[in-house]
Amino acid sequence: MLVEFELLQSAQRGDASAFNQVVTAYRRRILGTISRLIGRPEDVEDVAQEVFLRLYFSLDQLRTPEVFEPWLYRLTVNASYDYLRKSKRRPESRMSDLSEQQVLMADAAAGSKAQVEEGEKHRVRDMVQGLLASVSEEDRILLTLKEVEGLSLKELEKIYHVNENSLKVRLFRARQRVLKNMKGVTTERQDVASSGDGLQKV
Amino acid sequence: MTNGEWNTSTGGGDDNECLDNLLHAYRAACPDPDPSVNFMPSLWAKIEAREASSTVFSRVAKALVTAALSASVLMALLAASSSQSGVSFDGSAYIQALAADHVSDLEPLQVERISDLEQ
Repeated sequence: MLVEFELLQSAQRGDASAFNQVVTAYRRRILGTISRLIGRPEDVEDVAQEVFLRLYFSLDQLRTPEVFEPWLYRLTVNASYDYLRKSKRRPESRMSDLSEQQVLMADAAAGSKAQVEEGEKHRVRDMVQGLLASVSEEDRILLTLKEVEGLSLKELEKIYHVNENSLKVRLFRARQRVLKNMKGVTTERQDVASSGDGLQKV
Repeated sequence: MTNGEWNTSTGGGDDNECLDNLLHAYRAACPDPDPSVNFMPSLWAKIEAREASSTVFSRVAKALVTAALSASVLMALLAASSSQSGVSFDGSAYIQALAADHVSDLEPLQVERISDLEQ
């Protein structure tokens, strides 16, 4: 845990300074998780503030320190769900904005190593967000928490309030759906690459 | 993790491993963003706004409960005072009053004629 339980108890008693410290300790992590869950950088802070707002008004329910972090993740997941449902939109799939050939040509023109690396990251982000956008919100959030955020099954059990076996089944199915979409995307990429002017990049 | 590694895997290797690599690459490509300088002030502004709206709601709810209780007490007092003043519904008195009011209507019952028939 990033903060002492005494600090949480002070925040529970209404100590604004203690609450500030709790937020400061967790906000970067929560911002990162939300940015990977919703895929909309411009709305990440709003959703994170909603998470801490809910934390502020429900902090008095906290009894034991070990449930704090799973609970904070649960608030994060719920706020992200609410955002996605409210906005009725999925993370933008920018893969369609540029063809593979255009991306390769832009990379070639970029030149510097830093720009190439940034281009790689950009493409990875677009590809994963495109893949995850093609499955349900539930699948996307579960897979992101497990495979990207690195939460254990035990932690996910506490967040989702379901047993480990159910989680394994849901994760397996979610992975299968993403893999199926990935194969489709890979095939498309190969088709585009083979139809290009000999510009091949692995 | 570079694009090349996960791209090579898509070429025909283990799909699951490829997906893992891709997701790890995604994690590396999406670092935790830094909060803006307005993050905390904006958060506290939202907290205060929520507290203010909940205070207004609770005040309105309290006012409504108080009004409902006052109305109940008033009605109970009115009912008690009317029962003490002796005004009560008496069915027989009402019928007598009605009959007295309509004596003329009752007269043409022509009892004599009925008795005449009996005779």
